[in-house]
Formats: sequence, structure tokens, C-alpha cells
Amino acid sequence: MSTGVRSSNADAARPLAHATRDALAELLLSIADDEFVIGFWDSEWTGIAPILEEDVATSSISQDEIGHARALYELLAELTGDDADRIAFGREPDAYRHAALLNHPRTDWAFSVARRYLYETADAVRLEALSRSSYEPLAGLVAKMRREERYHLMHLDAWLRRLADAGGDARARLAEALTRLWPDAMTIFTPLGGEATLVAEGLLPEPMETLRERWLTQVVPILETLSLPVPSGDERGAPLTDGGRTQRTDDFRWLHGEFTMVARSEEGAAW
Amino acid sequence: MIHSGNVRAPDLELATHYAREFYGRRQESNRLWIVPRQAITELDDPDLLKPPFDRSFKRPGGYLIKHKLEAAKARAQEEG
Repeated sequence: MSTGVRSSNADAARPLAHATRDALAELLLSIADDEFVIGFWDSEWTGIAPILEEDVATSSISQDEIGHARALYELLAELTGDDADRIAFGREPDAYRHAALLNHPRTDWAFSVARRYLYETADAVRLEALSRSSYEPLAGLVAKMRREERYHLMHLDAWLRRLADAGGDARARLAEALTRLWPDAMTIFTPLGGEATLVAEGLLPEPMETLRERWLTQVVPILETLSLPVPSGDERGAPLTDGGRTQRTDDFRWLHGEFTMVARSEEGAAW
Repeated sequence: MIHSGNVRAPDLELATHYAREFYGRRQESNRLWIVPRQAITELDDPDLLKPPFDRSFKRPGGYLIKHKLEAAKARAQEEG
């Protein structure tokens, strides 16, 4: 991870207070881990996606996400004086901060489509907000990420509609997956510990709670039009606790073992 | 317009996505035209495409004089 994003001199010109830096680090880590983990889960489809063309598309989109994670880990590494590779591969499973939505294995195709659709739509709302961040290195990176994410969303939207319209087993599996995933999808917008500081200083332009409501306002009507499951009123308004980004599952521990396997085989090696 | 290749897809929407992945993901394309197979008119008549006479004069370079040129250059070098 030697190449990639270099922060502008904006942060050098205006040093961040310790509390702000810690809060920003938490924000960057949560987004980076989201992108990293969904990239690895969906790359599990390489070689076994429904048709060859979709195999290439899914693999390519997964690589895009891992690329976004790399850029975010590098931004974080510069902020904290760490190393991007160490952050990506050198942590124990419990130190990852991705949303609970990404604890699940890829399961079947409908499940992966449902998870990815919920993730992409939520990510789009989050990235739109961050493109307005007062932390210029992040706003600049997010602007580039959004240009790729737009296509990811188009692709997942196409798949959601076609599984919904297909009826039968495809539709049933999609609906079942959505029902199962909705509560965990909410955890993408789990409030961060240092969120008040980030919002006050404009690094995070709006609170996670506001972003969650915006996402639901956008995505729920689309799913309703397709007669697919949506969260109840109570579920929509339920407060999100810290656990949304800290609880890890055995499925994730397995994935962690997979994606750290090569890095662990020769620690400190220059690849 | 260059033929990049073909993709299998159930409709134009996914065909567009797959064309982007197969022929654009390495940033090798500026624009892609995606056309369903049945919209292609094929011409493969050898009498129309490969007539039996030497028509090399219709090429931008005219008659092939490559060998004549090489011989002339060799002669010129010998004569030094």
C-alpha cells in the first residue's frame, strides 16, 4: 500500500486537536472497514457467480471496494502515524469496526444482492454527506469514491429489481434476506463516540441519525413499490447502540482468517 | 469504432454493465456502443469482400512496392 492518497496540506495548516483527531480516526476506520469487509465477502463469489459476465462484474466491484478501503486506511495511517497495511491486516477480529450488516457470510446470491443493495444505498447517503466534510483530504477522496459508487448502485439496483420481478424462489429468497438484514443494515449509521465533536467542527457535516433517516426516506419507498420487506415504524426509530460496530461473529472470524492468511505467513515482508 | 468483443446478458441494462466491466474497467475505453446481436446485419460474401483480382491499388498505400524499395536501398548501399 505504498501508493495512493496523499493528504493535502490543509490538515498541516490547521492541526487537529487530539479529541478531534481521535474522532476522525474512528470515522475513517469505520468506513474503511465497511468497504474492506464487504469487498472481501463479495469477492467470495469469484468463480461461482451466476454467469461469467456477472462473475467478472462482482469481482471488479469487490476490488473497487477494497481499493476504496486502501485509500481510507492510508488517510488514517497518515493521520495517526500508523501503517495502512498494519491497520488492514494486522488487527485481531475484535478490533475491526465494520457495521454488523457485514458480519454475515455471502450466503446465497439473493442474500448477497440484498445485503449489497442495503449497503450501497446507505453508503451513497454517507458519502454524499462526507463530500461536504471540512476535512479536505476526506472530502477529496470521497468525491472520487462517489464516481465509482454510482455505478455499483446502478448495478445492484438492476439486480434487486430483477430478483423481485422474477417471482418464485428468487423473490422469496430476496424477501427473506431483506427481512433478516434490515436490523443490521441500520448499524451502518451507528453514532460514533466522538461524533458530537466531528459534527460541531464540520468534519462530519450531519449526525449519523440524520443520515439514517435520509437513507430510509429514500430506500423504503423503492422497496415498498417492489412489495419487498421494509422496517416497521418502531424499527425505523429504534436508537442505535455502540454494539452495532463492535460485535463480531464466527463468520467474520473465518473471513478474517482468510484475508490475513498471506500477510500472516511472512510478517513485515515487502511484497 | 472498434469491435471490442461480446457479452451475454439478458437485456440492454445488464449488457451495458457487463460491457463496462469487460471493455472499460481498465480505463481502456472512452465510449462504448452496445448493440443486441439481432440488430447486427452481417456481410460475409467472399465475392463482395475478397474479389479475385489484385485490388491492392485501392489501398491507401497504392501498389505494394515494398520489395522494390528494399532492393533499391540495398543497391544504393552497395554503391555506397
